[in-house]
Amino acid sequence: MKHQMIGNTLYFYFYGDFDNLAVQRIKETCIQLIDHFEPSAVKMDFEEVSFIDSTGIGFVLARYKQLKKLGSELILCNLSRANQTLFHMSGIFQIISYERSGVKL
Amino acid sequence: MNEMTLRFLSNPVNEPFARTSIVAFLMPLNPSVEEIMEIKTMIAEAVTNAMIHGYEGHEDGWIEIKAVYDEAGILDLTIKDEGCGIEDIELAMQPLYTSKAYLERSGMGMTIMDTFADDFKVNSSEGNGCIVQMRKQLHGQTEPAH
Ligand SMILES: Nc1ncnc2c1ncn2[C@@H]1O[C@H](COP(=O)(O)OP(=O)(O)OP(=O)(O)O)[C@@H](O)[C@H]1O
Ligand SMILES: [Mg+2]
Repeated sequence: MKHQMIGNTLYFYFYGDFDNLAVQRIKETCIQLIDHFEPSAVKMDFEEVSFIDSTGIGFVLARYKQLKKLGSELILCNLSRANQTLFHMSGIFQIISYERSGVKL
Repeated sequence: MNEMTLRFLSNPVNEPFARTSIVAFLMPLNPSVEEIMEIKTMIAEAVTNAMIHGYEGHEDGWIEIKAVYDEAGILDLTIKDEGCGIEDIELAMQPLYTSKAYLERSGMGMTIMDTFADDFKVNSSEGNGCIVQMRKQLHGQTEPAH
């Protein structure tokens, strides 16, 4: 996982497997980065993510709730078709927005 | 007909190993990219459930996966744990129901397995572990891989 702060937006870039093992390893860091920067928006880039399961959905929903308390927005970016299928099942796009983003590291 | 069984401890590092091993076993069926992704996800969900719920994070419980396929490409997966079991299966199956919201679970695992499998069964009762059975017809790739 990598991140960068541009203006008031915090960007997260995820790589490879976004499974239970990976999420448990990066979760605390993401929570702390959000608390530290207090960004007005967080964009999560999934372009390089090859595998995702329900743990990823739980992580995204939890960060959405964390950000809501700060009055901030969460935007998911660059999901592959397969990854989108999984997120669609959870109805997540009814509350969280999605975009193609070209902002890279 | 072909069959394999994989038995491993409930240590989280074993989950990626489990899903990639089963998928490697299925290579003679020449599964499509989409089928591989769906099978990996089904296994990830069942195994993660065994680790997090069945064994409640303890890393010394046994998890067993049996994979069987036949000439018609019908795959049967059985994932078994000897953990705490499920008191109310109907409730557990509800989309977005989770007993571990504090662990940032979403309650989507059962729904995902049900969606990707053609047939999905959970056999469990309190204190008696859990057996998840999933059937999936594989069609393989339409074009041979280059
Ligand atoms: N192997 C198991 N042993 C005991 N309880 C289980 C097992 N599998 C599932 N459960 C119960 O069923 C509930 C629903 O499971 P499901 O996979 O749908 O959601 P989750 O695991 O809580 O969240 P997610 O899968 O989205 O991370 C769990 O919260 C748990 O209470
Ligand atoms: Mg689950």
